[in-house]
Amino acid sequence: MMQMVETWWPLFVVALLLGIAIAWWIFASSRKTQVRDHSGADVLDEGAAPAARNQALIDAAPAAAVQPPVVPPGVAGAGTAVAAAVEAQQIRMAEEAEAAEAEAQSAPPASPSPAGDDLTRIKGVGGKLNELLASLGVTSFAQIAAWNDADIDRIDTQLGRFQGRIRRDSWVEQARLLAEGNTAGYEEKFGKL
Amino acid sequence: MAMWFELMVMLLAAYSVGLGIGWLIWGRVSNDLGE
Repeated sequence: MMQMVETWWPLFVVALLLGIAIAWWIFASSRKTQVRDHSGADVLDEGAAPAARNQALIDAAPAAAVQPPVVPPGVAGAGTAVAAAVEAQQIRMAEEAEAAEAEAQSAPPASPSPAGDDLTRIKGVGGKLNELLASLGVTSFAQIAAWNDADIDRIDTQLGRFQGRIRRDSWVEQARLLAEGNTAGYEEKFGKL
Repeated sequence: MAMWFELMVMLLAAYSVGLGIGWLIWGRVSNDLGE
């Protein structure tokens, strides 16, 4: 038997390598089924724009609530006055609904700062994430520092392959210290800036 | 004939060991990737 191994050892090595290659191929290809693609945003995704729009429409006062002003009977030109008043009220309602919608869509950046901060100072945020956050309207430490759990979840769903980074790297706490300008406190907790 | 049979069995054994090693390496690498 040992003699056979001595004679045929290159064949055994080839069989071994073939086994490794095939195992790798099988497991690596099975992995692809587990990769979740978040590029196609769903209306039901938390933070999706259509969902916010729908919520704004739900929250807006129903059109049936429009009450025409009471005009005493016998007033000359009452018909025109009522029509004008109703129209004016409808325009007002539409404006309110638009305002509510705009508010719902701009919910994540609660207090947009005119002067954007360099978000890459947050450890765990690089160039790509900085661009991504800017596209989501997040440009200042104060905005990130003001996030609550719901905000984090909403933003997190839009971070694609960077999902989970917000909590893992404690962005909110980092941003709070950076927004305060508390460099000493920051460096004590997260290391040198 | 017996020699060829024995050779095939040993090659199969080597191949199986290779599968096991491949699986272990893959498990370690994919774990490092956080998957």
